Amino acid sequence: MTAPALGHPHLPAVPFDPEIQAVLDALPAQPALTRETLPREGTDRMFPSNDEVIAGRAIEWEDRVIPGPAGAPDIEVTIFRPCGREGEALPAVYNIHGGGMIVGHRSWESARVVDLVDELGVVGVNVEYRLAPEDPYPAGVEDCYAGVVWLAENAASLGVDPARIVVMGGSAGGGFSAAVALLARDRQGPPIAGQLLLCPMLDNTNATTASLQYDGIGTWQREANLLAWSCVLGDDLAFSEEAPAYAAPSRAADLGGLPPAFIEVGAAEMFRDEDVAYASRIWATGGQAELHVWAGGCHGFDMYMPEAEITRAALASRVSWLRRVLGL
Amino acid sequence: MSAVESTGSSPTPVPYDPALEPGLAAFLDLVEIIPLRADTIHANRAHFATIIPPIEQQATGRAVTWQNRVVPGPSEAPDVEITIVRPASPASTPAPAALSIHGGGMVLGTRFFGTPELIDLAERYGVVGVAVEYRLAPEHPGPAQAEDCYAALAWMAAHADELGIDPRRIIATGASAGGGLSAAVALLSRDRGGPVLAGQLLNCPMLDDRNETVSAHQYDGIGAWDRNNNDTAWDAIAGADRFTDAVSPYTAPARATDLSGLPPAYIEVGAAETFRDEAAAYATRIWATGGQAELHVWAGGYHGFSGFSPDAIVSQAANAARDSWVRRILDLP
Repeated sequence: MTAPALGHPHLPAVPFDPEIQAVLDALPAQPALTRETLPREGTDRMFPSNDEVIAGRAIEWEDRVIPGPAGAPDIEVTIFRPCGREGEALPAVYNIHGGGMIVGHRSWESARVVDLVDELGVVGVNVEYRLAPEDPYPAGVEDCYAGVVWLAENAASLGVDPARIVVMGGSAGGGFSAAVALLARDRQGPPIAGQLLLCPMLDNTNATTASLQYDGIGTWQREANLLAWSCVLGDDLAFSEEAPAYAAPSRAADLGGLPPAFIEVGAAEMFRDEDVAYASRIWATGGQAELHVWAGGCHGFDMYMPEAEITRAALASRVSWLRRVLGL
Repeated sequence: MSAVESTGSSPTPVPYDPALEPGLAAFLDLVEIIPLRADTIHANRAHFATIIPPIEQQATGRAVTWQNRVVPGPSEAPDVEITIVRPASPASTPAPAALSIHGGGMVLGTRFFGTPELIDLAERYGVVGVAVEYRLAPEHPGPAQAEDCYAALAWMAAHADELGIDPRRIIATGASAGGGLSAAVALLSRDRGGPVLAGQLLNCPMLDDRNETVSAHQYDGIGAWDRNNNDTAWDAIAGADRFTDAVSPYTAPARATDLSGLPPAYIEVGAAETFRDEAAAYATRIWATGGQAELHVWAGGYHGFSGFSPDAIVSQAANAARDSWVRRILDLP
């Protein structure tokens, strides 16, 4: 492997938004992620329960077990649906959680899904996928793809309009969403109405300026990203230009013919440049993409600072785009 | 000279948001009724004079006052006309301020293209605005435009008390050519140790004389401010220097070799327009220096969509995002 070196010359980083800097300063120091200490036990109970997240809003939920990829285990999904909309074919958002493809659980993002169900009257589906390194590429992305195939095939019984399914996710979930859109295009799979990519993890080479600027600072740092790609791709392909596009969508040679993309990222994070490049490559094919790079935003700023002005503005832009692509 | 000829084999363009198509058609009918070529610049100026409402009309019924002034121009250049737009009820504390630089490819238009934005800012946030009349090309090649705008900024900062403004909270703002010139003013101010801008608001900015990005080829013969209009304008501005390193960064900010040490930038552009790629590249180069920039590229947006089709969902979102940045950068509630 050609590991991008640690210990490169320091590059000045784009500063954090003042509201964000204050929150980051108050965060307890996080122990570095290592391959041996990736959290697994109890990660499904670290965040509030679905009922606590829904908090009395008119939303019902159920857990389902659905078929996984051929020859692979079944998959768990949680389905959130607005009450009182039986008999309608609603748009759906299919959420893929973040965590570097190496940590996390779908329940960590129930709030993100429930808020969209509440605000837009869509069905939300939150998928559980296998994590690396126990299950390296292509386990995670194939699980995510199997879930969206199931959603499209069962749209009628789920009360979903199969022509209005958006795949979405943050960080690793943004990378998986982009990969699912590539898979659906290349396998003539279900139609995807849009791909909502929040600070997506797209490029395994870790060679951009931004990936060098956030070495040792911020909420998802260079070293964690190097570990994540090693776990997903193995040492030989971890940082290689030869990595498969369905693992690292930046490796796709052709970004034509994809569903409309919404790409959001902070200006002060390591995925900034790869996300801007992905949008630029979509536009170059004549494809549709919307790009938002928020000043001083750290990785996942909306999760860490839900009350910040840039979070409010970013959420408004997301909802605007969802209304446009879903015809709401 | 016109180094760029339409080949008829442009790359596939990003499509327009269907909700913007009526606005684009209306824009082309109203604003770009005469294709902009070297021999139609004067005809276009005459046409523009008929579609820009006079300030008296713009300000009617709005909670603002306005005043025309003449202030010193650049060294050995004529004086500069400005229009000051103030909130009708002045604040008791120094106000935030905006220098408005109008669009029109640096070859067309007047400062009253930019005053509607100042009226909105005055009503909404109590901003005191100055709209600057800069000299146009080809009669006045670049960087005469940026120098005039900088002279207006320098006057604002030097007369902050008289204007009732906080000199630490001045932004430069403009669309299209006005976006490019706002970027140029930020460069000039940095390089000359001039007034420190609180921010540069670059709306669909015109930054690069080379006109050779993918998007500059995608919008060849289609859309608002297409490749050919842009080509005409840059020929007029840069003349024989065009396409060479002799083009000043104060004429074409993309020519600047160093984008560090600039005030925070807000860069907004449509995904379906000529300037998309040069705008994204400018933001990327600012970030690479560790500078602050916010970039929004709106799906299916034509050049100037957010101002000309304000009721479309995408335009409402664009206008709200820009408003958010203004609040953050000027420390407004």
